[in-house]
Amino acid sequence: MVSRAKIKELMNESACSHNKDKKKGEGCDMPKPGMAAGGCAFDGAQISLFPYADAVHLVHGPQTCLGASWETRETLSSYAGRNHTVMGFTTGITTNDVIFGGDKRLDASLAYIVEHYAPEAIFVYSTCVTAMVGDDIDMTCKLAQKAHNIPIVPVHAPGFVGGKNLGSRLAGEAVLEHLIGTKEPEFTTPYDINLIGDYNVTGDMWQYLPLFEKIGIRVLSSMSGDGRVGDIRTAHRAKLNVIVCAKSLVTLCRKMQERYDIPWISVSFYGKRDTTFAIMEIVNALGDATLIAKAKEILAEEESFLEEKLLPYKEMFAGKKAVLNTGGNKAWSIASGLQDLGIEVVATSIRKSTEDDIQKAREYLGENGILMRAPASEQAKVIDEKGAHILLAGGRSLYTAIKKKISFIDVNQEKKVSYGGYNGLLNLAEDLKYAFNNPVFANVCAPAPWEV
Amino acid sequence: MEAKKIKLSSQEHKPLQINPIKHSQPMGAALAFMGIKNCLPLMHGSQGCASYTKVLYTRHYNEPIPLYNTSVSDITAVFDGGDFSILMAIENITKKNTTLKPELIGLHTTGLTETKGDDVRSVGIHVEIPYCYVNTPDFEGGMESGWALTCKALILQHTFTCKDIKPKKLVLLPNVNIQPIEIEKLKECCTNLGFETFALPDLSTSLDGYLSEGQGKLATGGIAIEEIANLGDAQIVVSIGRSMKSAAEALLQKNEAIEHLHFNHLMGLEANDNFVASLMKMAQVTPYPLLKRWRGRLQDAMLDAHFLIGSSSFVVTGEPDMCVGICELLQSVGGTVYAVIATVYSPVLEEIKAENIFVGDLEDAKSYFQNADLVISNFHAERILHMQEKHTALVLRGFPNYEELGNQLKNDQLYEGSTYFLFEVANKLRELKYHG
Repeated sequence: MVSRAKIKELMNESACSHNKDKKKGEGCDMPKPGMAAGGCAFDGAQISLFPYADAVHLVHGPQTCLGASWETRETLSSYAGRNHTVMGFTTGITTNDVIFGGDKRLDASLAYIVEHYAPEAIFVYSTCVTAMVGDDIDMTCKLAQKAHNIPIVPVHAPGFVGGKNLGSRLAGEAVLEHLIGTKEPEFTTPYDINLIGDYNVTGDMWQYLPLFEKIGIRVLSSMSGDGRVGDIRTAHRAKLNVIVCAKSLVTLCRKMQERYDIPWISVSFYGKRDTTFAIMEIVNALGDATLIAKAKEILAEEESFLEEKLLPYKEMFAGKKAVLNTGGNKAWSIASGLQDLGIEVVATSIRKSTEDDIQKAREYLGENGILMRAPASEQAKVIDEKGAHILLAGGRSLYTAIKKKISFIDVNQEKKVSYGGYNGLLNLAEDLKYAFNNPVFANVCAPAPWEV
Repeated sequence: MEAKKIKLSSQEHKPLQINPIKHSQPMGAALAFMGIKNCLPLMHGSQGCASYTKVLYTRHYNEPIPLYNTSVSDITAVFDGGDFSILMAIENITKKNTTLKPELIGLHTTGLTETKGDDVRSVGIHVEIPYCYVNTPDFEGGMESGWALTCKALILQHTFTCKDIKPKKLVLLPNVNIQPIEIEKLKECCTNLGFETFALPDLSTSLDGYLSEGQGKLATGGIAIEEIANLGDAQIVVSIGRSMKSAAEALLQKNEAIEHLHFNHLMGLEANDNFVASLMKMAQVTPYPLLKRWRGRLQDAMLDAHFLIGSSSFVVTGEPDMCVGICELLQSVGGTVYAVIATVYSPVLEEIKAENIFVGDLEDAKSYFQNADLVISNFHAERILHMQEKHTALVLRGFPNYEELGNQLKNDQLYEGSTYFLFEVANKLRELKYHG
């Protein structure tokens, strides 16, 4: 069961920069009826844990929860065994289970999964209905764990407790309580880190992991991009926790610091400057002089290599101005990438950004950059005033772009290629090239014959 | 791998679903409300239910989706009987955007709010905008029944009882599998046969992939709430799909003089001949030239495609009302339907003649795929087929299809759509058999 006390604690994360301006005990907002648009807590928990390909993820709930959410995220895995992240498992409870309880069905489902799929572990997600009717998921999991001899982890993030972010925190709690510290690594090095909060969407991690390898940074475990349950169990032996672009798992890192004395840092791998900065942060935190020297050498090499490849793009993009309308840390991380390509970012949205994010956005955009609080109504004006050439935003802003006859990139759409790391910058450059050259945005709004 | 025999039953044959194809009732209800003009579809549940639904339809149609939710929290789940979250949601939404002028609140429940047992009917007393409620727990039925229940609720709650009949007024009740363009084609066909035609729900101007400003705020469906109120004087109600029968019966309750015509589907020559013959008889008209022309084209397509389809075996997965049409069309040109795996039980499944037919998921379907030349399924089948050794072709139908663009314009209905469908299947088979 998830208790109110736990939720309150998670909503009041002291290490979260959202919390700075709030009164004591106020914490994150509860969803307002009619106003909440994003995913629920279950969604967040699922996003945070699903990338464990060696585990089965069983959703104990009715049809909506899993029916529409499996095989929707491009979280790639290099797991050689059966990849369970692209599969969907649900107890799909029926009226009978609502009335008589779903524990028996859950137990039978666990047995079925172990028999037919032999996973390394099973995550069991409670949902609104099964939490409400009071299925004893903890006990069912505990008994099944004993019977089947694999970790069976209950994840208590029913949708109605809050939004995605809280769900992600609750997933962190489950991992901390049930997995971390339950196994010793085969060996350790002074350069072991845990990667927290990168889900390897479109292979983002694979853009920078080769650099880690060259430098000698070892990823002991990941939460949870391309992760393995066996590895996260050993996470307590890492020297450093590295959070990648995710506010939600701050709690996990803070608690690991308290419990296992592992320090943590927060980084981003978007764009050239951020990638370099991130890696330097990591090696500095690990604090080994030879490692730092090696990192400097390799990064310089990689940067000059990248710079060469970027030259033709920089020529192409010279003088181009962009307006960015996206949420959270993307407000500055994508801006940083665009600037690395020689594009001037004239405005970015800070709706939904934390204080940290706003500061960073100001830093990256400079004094004259416009920080839009209500981008939906502001962006059209900003495009005119600044003479922007491209709008990067969610699908709903497409109309603004074609009305202004400027190029458009949907940054919120499920993308198929990664923009992460040094090489991701080249992917972004390619996409921008096609967007700038595409006449569709000007053509599509030609007046109809009956309007002339 | 030998496929195991599973019997057709409304009871499940295993405790869980693995790689499910079934979608929930609230999802079907939300889609149905999008077919009503200026409707504000409001899902009564936690925010995730609506978010998942929104994502599914946004990606399937590549369109902004107008869907709101009451964001029930753990606290309101306990203390609120629904009044607070529903009324607050309506107030918040209309206050935030004062240009929003919904003409109908389309309220549908979810598993959460059904479990706690909210009285969504009585909340309507306090709503000033016309209000339609429908109980759609997601632990019962599926997408098809959610859509059908919504349609029925709209009629029961908003259509006036009537004694008179307006000659040549026709109400179409399409099932959830019928895509926006198909509804347009069906309406057009009925109109050309001399009827004043209404479709309920009418997605032909909603989610049909039309570029316009301010999308995704309210539904842009093709039937207005006043039109629904006045459906009671129709001469004929045409239900398409077994799931829609009860909605048609609801309309008959409003006026028993209405003639009810039912068709399980409108795919292939026989089904469409029955459909056209019935309407010709009712309207006392002869068919328009293009309808005759398309019948001839379908005949020709059947002959052109019979060789490839007649020597092939098929597995079809999806909603029952979709499966029955596809199976009968394929079988009419000699195709062997090896297995049908349906999302939920429906009596119409009993009418399908296939070697194997049952309610299941893609884990079950997998072993049948090995013995098929072509699979018709939603996009989830793609990865499974990709991993199997035997080459099996795939035609994507049903929700969701994230792999292809233009889903809203896929037309499988009537003589015309059946013709296109046969060619699509035959072309995929040719690719497999001769270039595989």
